[in-house]
Amino acid sequence: MTILVYGGSGSGKSAFAEKKTTELNKGNKLYYLATMQVYDDEDRERIKRHRKLRYGKGFTTVEQPKNIDKILDSLSNEKCDVLLECMSNLVANEMFDGDSKDKSVFDKIKADITKLDACCDNLVLVSNNIFEDGITYDREAEDYKEILGNVNSFLSSISEEVWEVVAGIPVRLK
Amino acid sequence: MILVIGGYSQGKLDYVKKRFSKDKVAIIDAKSFSADITETENNNEKKIVIDNINELVKNSVIDKKNPEDEIKKLLHKFPDSIIISDEVGNGIVPIDKTERLIRETIGRMQCILAEQAEEVIRVICGIGQKIK
Repeated sequence: MTILVYGGSGSGKSAFAEKKTTELNKGNKLYYLATMQVYDDEDRERIKRHRKLRYGKGFTTVEQPKNIDKILDSLSNEKCDVLLECMSNLVANEMFDGDSKDKSVFDKIKADITKLDACCDNLVLVSNNIFEDGITYDREAEDYKEILGNVNSFLSSISEEVWEVVAGIPVRLK
Repeated sequence: MILVIGGYSQGKLDYVKKRFSKDKVAIIDAKSFSADITETENNNEKKIVIDNINELVKNSVIDKKNPEDEIKKLLHKFPDSIIISDEVGNGIVPIDKTERLIRETIGRMQCILAEQAEEVIRVICGIGQKIK
């Protein structure tokens, strides 16, 4: 099962994605694939909050801010369950800190996620709605929005279930 | 309590007015008050609508108050109210730290309100979808 969980800032999408993943998990090795780069105390606080949410739920945390295909060998030999959080960080890291500096980022992420999906019994992907503030940003940010939008559409196409979380309430889109 | 959420200018207040057109409604704009608001007139028979609760959360963050406490005070005073909030979390992460905090806190407060609400309506293009 592949599931996309989508929502805005503070929407409760992490908590819902964790719940979904643990419900699906029937004894497979369970990974939390964290893509956030840690820069400052605010990031550390965020991680602390998320760790607390996950505590005692059996997740093994793997930190991989980019090139997620590199960790596939180190995952369990048997099929596993993965919660990937989140795509918005992964896309930003690949775009601004990655090896490919242009729109081929989309192809790279598509390929990496496809490989990851093949290793998983259950894959839950968390992504962000960053598209509705009506502001036009600089070129880099606009490119980022476009790529993340395309990535989200791709993810929903490979997902059996797509959920938008609104004020902590899951709304099923697919 | 009923929670009505939606993006800016999506017709949330109009939705509420239409839906409760048979009731006497008192609209309180949270832009211009803190939770210390006093009941101005005899509001007991009226449906209390608290518009722009996101502004109350924002001001709490700026004034370094606990927004959850502020909301609790308000709900204690108006337990059967209709609360309207702008959804603000669906954009690019703000560069300014306080703005980031405000945005996330509004989201978390909406989660708390939604959990307590008997009903949650999301308004898009003037259309209310019942999501709880």
